Amino acid sequence: MSQTLEEELPPVLKASVHDVRYFSALLRGVNFVNRATMTVTDRGLTITVEEARTLLGTAFIFSDIFDEYAYRSENSPAVSSQSSDDVDMADNVAFEVPLNTLIECLNIFGTAGPASTNGSNANKFKKWKKPGDDSDNDDDGDRGGRGKSGSRAIDSYFNGSEKGTGMRMTYAGAGNPLTLLLAEDATGPTTTCEIATFDPEPHLELDFDNSKMVLKIILKSSWLRDALSELDPSFDKLTFIGNSPPKESVSTTNQKQPSREVSKPMLRIQAAGTFGSTEMDYPNDRDVLETFECTRSVRFSYRLQLISRTLRALQSSTKTSLRIDEEGLLSLQFLMPSPKPRGASDAFIEFRCLALDDDF
Amino acid sequence: MRFRASIENVATFFKIIQSIERLQKKCIIKFTETNMHIICNNDANEGGIQVWSQIKVASLFSGYRIQSNANNEITMTITSEALLAALKSASSSGTSAYETEEVVMKLAKKNAQAVLAFEINSLTRVGRRVRVSHDVKIEVMRPADVARLSEPMCPEPDLHILLPPLQKLRTVVDRLKPMSDILAIRANNNGCLRLSINTESVKVDTEWKRCSHPITKDKAQDAEDTPDPDQFFAVLVSIRSFLKFLNSHVVSTTTIACICQNHCMILYVYIGDVADAGGVLTFYVPAIIDDEI
Repeated sequence: MSQTLEEELPPVLKASVHDVRYFSALLRGVNFVNRATMTVTDRGLTITVEEARTLLGTAFIFSDIFDEYAYRSENSPAVSSQSSDDVDMADNVAFEVPLNTLIECLNIFGTAGPASTNGSNANKFKKWKKPGDDSDNDDDGDRGGRGKSGSRAIDSYFNGSEKGTGMRMTYAGAGNPLTLLLAEDATGPTTTCEIATFDPEPHLELDFDNSKMVLKIILKSSWLRDALSELDPSFDKLTFIGNSPPKESVSTTNQKQPSREVSKPMLRIQAAGTFGSTEMDYPNDRDVLETFECTRSVRFSYRLQLISRTLRALQSSTKTSLRIDEEGLLSLQFLMPSPKPRGASDAFIEFRCLALDDDF
Repeated sequence: MRFRASIENVATFFKIIQSIERLQKKCIIKFTETNMHIICNNDANEGGIQVWSQIKVASLFSGYRIQSNANNEITMTITSEALLAALKSASSSGTSAYETEEVVMKLAKKNAQAVLAFEINSLTRVGRRVRVSHDVKIEVMRPADVARLSEPMCPEPDLHILLPPLQKLRTVVDRLKPMSDILAIRANNNGCLRLSINTESVKVDTEWKRCSHPITKDKAQDAEDTPDPDQFFAVLVSIRSFLKFLNSHVVSTTTIACICQNHCMILYVYIGDVADAGGVLTFYVPAIIDDEI
C-alpha cells in the first residue's frame, strides 16, 4: 500500500468505550503470559496467549462492548465489506502486544480494576469489607455463599470505584503502535499511551472438533471455582473423570472402576501430587450440572499449574462450559457477564489445554 | 541543654514522620526557638532525594521550651521508625483503646544515653488513667557537625507549578513504575503538566491541564524577558525517588513543584493551609541526565 494513501485512510482499528473496566477484566482473564496476540476483525477483538505449547487462552471481545468500533480491512480496502462472501474470521489484522503493559495502562488512573493494586486504597478497602463480609467471602464452602457468587462476580465490576476510565483505542496498521487515549472525566488529566506492537508469531492450533466430543458439561462457574480453588498448590496433576449417566453406565461394565462404587460419579475431579491426592464428585443434579453429555467414560489428566491459569477468568465469569474431545483436548469456556444492560452480547474467554500422556 | 514541649497536633506530626520514615531510616531533627527542621540528606537515598523541612513550632506544639549553649538550638539524629512508633501510640485514632489527653516530649538522659522521652497521658473508655511512655534513643549532634549541614545548591528554577492532588499523581506514577525506571516531568507556564515514560515497548504520557502557577514575588523582573508560556521545561527523575516524595500525600494540602531544567526538581509540600503556612517540607529530587528526550 502506498504511503500517501495510508495517511488518508482511517485507522485499521478505532474503538472507544466510556468505562474500561469490563474490557480490562477480560484482558486480565488471559493475562498469564505477557506477550499476547490481538486479532482485529469486523466483529470484534480476540486476544490470544499461549503457554508451554500446551495451553491456549483466548478472550473473545465482541464489537458491541465498545461504544464505538470501526475496523478497516487492510487487505483489500476497495472491495472489503461489500462482497458478502466474508467468512468472519478470514479478514483480520493481527499483532502482538505486551499484555501486562496494556492492562497497566488501562488502569493508569486506578479505576479499571476490581482488584485495585493501589496500595493505601486497597488496604482501606479490605479493612472495611472484612467485618461484614467475612462469613460470605471466607467460607466459600457454605451453601449460602454459593447462590450469591454469581451476582458477586458482576458486582465486582462496579464496586471498585464510582468513576470509570474512558478509552479511545486506535491502531493505524502494521508497524504502528497501539494508541490509547484515556481520561477519567472531562476536567481531569488525559493519558496517551503508545504501546509497541510486534508481528504476530504463529500460535498453537488446537481445534476442537465437536463431532469428536466425548464430554460436555455446562455449570455455574462458582461450582468449578470452589473446587479448583480448594486444591493445594503442591498438587501437580488434575484429572477429569466423566461417566455416562447411570442408565448407560450399567451396561458398560468393562470399566476398571473401584467396585465399591455402586453408581459411578458423573463428574469427578481428582488432583494428585507428591503429598497426596484429593477427589471431588459432582452430584447428578440439574442444579449443579446444567448440561451433561457424555458419550463414553472418559478420564484425562492435565497439569494443574496450567489449569490454574484459568482461575482469574473463572472467578469473574458466571457460567462455564467444559468440553473434552476423544483425544483429551480440554476446552473451557467462561461466560463473562457484560455490565451493559441493553443485552450486548457477553464476551467469553476460552482456554484449550492438551492432556498429559496417560503413562506420565 | 533543656527541651520540653507538649504535642498538640499529634496527627500531623505523625503524618510528617510517616512520609519521612519511608524515605530514610534515620533523620536529623533540629529544634530552634521558632521552628522544627527535619532533614534527610543521606547520600545513600534512592536517587539522591533529600528533604529539608521547616515546621513552625506553634503549629505542632504548645508549652515549647528550649535551651542550649548553641544558640538555643538542639540538633539530633533519630531513628524515624522509632519516632513513628512513639507517635503512633500517642495518636488517639478510632482504633486505640484510649483517648489521649496530653503528650509531652522532652529531652532526657537515661543510663548515659540521650533520649527523647514521650509521655502520653490518656483515659481509657471507662475513664481510668493510662500513662504510656516511649524513650526514643537519639544522638545529639555537635554544633560543628550541624554547621556542616547545608541545603543543596540549586539554580533559579525555570518554572513553578502547583501540582494536582498528590494522591492522584501517585496512582498514575504507581502504574508507570513497573514499566520504566525513569520518569520525565514536563511543565509549561500555561498550566500544563506532563508525566511521561518512554521505553522500547511503551510510551505513556499523562497530561494535566489548567494547573495553576503560584505568583512569584519578582514577577516584575520576569516581565522584561517574558518567556513563552507554552515552552516546556523538563526534568528526568528516578521513578522510585519520585514515588518516595509522593508518600508525602498523607500530609500535603498544597504542593508546588519547581523545575530546574536538567538539574533537579524541588517540591514544596505545604502542611496545613498555605495561608497560615504551618510548615513546609522541601524535597530535592536530582535529575537524571540522559541524552534522550
